[in-house]
Amino acid sequence: MDSLLSALSQIFALSTLTFMLVGTVAGIIAAAIPGFTVTMAIVLTLPLTFNMDPLQGVAVMLSVYVGGLTGGLISAALLGIPGTPSSVATTFDAFPMARKGDPGRALSLGVWASFFGTLISTAVLVVAAPPLAVFAVKLGPWEYFSLIVFALTIVASLVGSSVLRGLLAGLIGLAISTVGADPILGRPRFDFGFEMLETGLPFLVVLIGIFAISQLLSEVEDARTVRSGASLVTGAIDFKTFKVMKEVLMSPVNLARSSVIGVLIGALPGAGGSISNLVAYDQAKRASKTPEKFGNGTPDGVIASESGNSATAGGGLIPLIGLGIPGSAVDAILMASLMVHGISVGPRLVLDHSDLVYGMFIAMAVASFMMLIVSVLSMRLFLRVAAVPKWLIVPTVLVCCVVGAFALNNRVTDLYLLGFVGLVGYALRSLGYPLAPLVLGVILGPIAETNLRRALMTDGDPTLFLTRPISLIFLIAAVLAIAWAVRNHIKTNKNNGKNAQDAS
Amino acid sequence: MSENDKHQSMEAGEIARFLSYIVLLLTSVALFVSAGHIPSSMFETLGAGAVPRFVFGTIILVAFIAVVDSLRKIPRDAWDRFGADTLRWVKSRFLVLLCFGIFVLYLLVLPVLGFSLASFAFVLAIQVLLMPRSPVTILIAVFVALAFSFGLNALFADVFNVFLPRGDLFHG
Repeated sequence: MDSLLSALSQIFALSTLTFMLVGTVAGIIAAAIPGFTVTMAIVLTLPLTFNMDPLQGVAVMLSVYVGGLTGGLISAALLGIPGTPSSVATTFDAFPMARKGDPGRALSLGVWASFFGTLISTAVLVVAAPPLAVFAVKLGPWEYFSLIVFALTIVASLVGSSVLRGLLAGLIGLAISTVGADPILGRPRFDFGFEMLETGLPFLVVLIGIFAISQLLSEVEDARTVRSGASLVTGAIDFKTFKVMKEVLMSPVNLARSSVIGVLIGALPGAGGSISNLVAYDQAKRASKTPEKFGNGTPDGVIASESGNSATAGGGLIPLIGLGIPGSAVDAILMASLMVHGISVGPRLVLDHSDLVYGMFIAMAVASFMMLIVSVLSMRLFLRVAAVPKWLIVPTVLVCCVVGAFALNNRVTDLYLLGFVGLVGYALRSLGYPLAPLVLGVILGPIAETNLRRALMTDGDPTLFLTRPISLIFLIAAVLAIAWAVRNHIKTNKNNGKNAQDAS
Repeated sequence: MSENDKHQSMEAGEIARFLSYIVLLLTSVALFVSAGHIPSSMFETLGAGAVPRFVFGTIILVAFIAVVDSLRKIPRDAWDRFGADTLRWVKSRFLVLLCFGIFVLYLLVLPVLGFSLASFAFVLAIQVLLMPRSPVTILIAVFVALAFSFGLNALFADVFNVFLPRGDLFHG
């Protein structure tokens, strides 16, 4: 009870609420800019939270996250360009609805669906995270290692068109994580005499380089589009706020199903909003009595996609709080922000820092209300951000990336690393390698190695990985995930071959 | 782009991927051997080099499968066209390469000129390169460049107490 009261007093402090409000607005604006992902917004927020209290810092980052999951809707609905990967499915119906002269309704549907999706996921988080944490403290290094193996296989099987390149990307990430002193005995590895490599590659610099720099470079591929500088947003906008709220609540099954899909996918390490919006949309279409309306501006499509992607926020926090495992790049940055403050994130987080955990729950709910109020009151202003041309976005965001990378360690050498990693990221992107497995490999690699070596130091018998039931379950799940991915890959190849034959 | 061009571009992409697998394979072999020289410990079954050996060993295996798979997909005559296709790709990515070149230059001069001056020049240069030029857009570009160089520096220094590089040239 004391922890809850302490959390409430910290979150409802005027300074925290003000910072959260700014964070929510920043998240919405950032995600509304095409090419600027929620991950990038959170990365850029991180250095700003170094001087804050741990809970205040995490609350601000959660506000950016919740705002960002909604902000992607703006450019998706009005321009047909997903502001973030998590709003791809939103373009399927919100954009046609806006083109048909109802852009306000499209935006309002998305905002309300996001709001309810976040609230549902917070409720699930409150119920699921503490028991999972209590269960998780009983797990040993064998189970943790097997869990990370499972997480890595999910990443490789869910992302990208090629299983081989997905696996290679994950392995490259693991390889990057082996650079620098080893996590158990601190022996130097692969530093090649460079001082910068002695402590390993700073993973946030790798993250910014891989995601942001490569994304921004790919934004300027088409010279004609970049140089046109034209705005696509036209027409008056009427939000019909409460009429649309009723409309969203009149689809309780779709809303609940999509939110639960978002929570479950968010809880899976490696999956996230970019997958959940598509799965939720797909399930809504399959369950609909009028599936032919999907893709032509049906409200159910917008509700499914937006509640699905927003619900991943709460879902992603379940493994983070319960197991100390970041389910996505955003959760990894949240984890990093706590680690910067000297808080060890793991199963003991709920037990040792319960005020912080309660604070995160409250911050999620508060952030969703802030997102709703900000969106309803100032959507017209945000529309201008969606119209910002790429020639303004690319250089300014590149400078923000440089600031983010430098502010972490105050090292100029990190900037050279940023440039190099950005180039590698762009090359890998151009060659069709999925980038998410690589980043998760960098994050999960040291955790896997620490637990593997700790397990074998505790007991030299490697069969324990197979004889301990929970470890075995995770390993079986890992094998099934690979088998599922390979099967899907073969099926897709067959279908593609068949379609090609039919076309010829 | 015609269907034939698209097909040729896909083949060139597959050759580029094939070459990336080869680079990965060779690098992994070298690092696998290097990991063998990391001293082991008497306190544990696995040494500091065990996990790197496992990772690079797996990369070698997967990259080898990828090489074989890729070779299967590349028709023999595609190799002859690879040089021309690569040149065409580089030409189509001219703006990307130019922007990246300016970015690298920015990173190199940043410690010398300092954050504010280097960022102002960088933001303005990229904007001028990418924008449809008119008096209004140039005015906007100068204003944005000022905000994201001198403005950002002042914000970080005064509000967040994070000091960005001041530049050896003026404060060395």
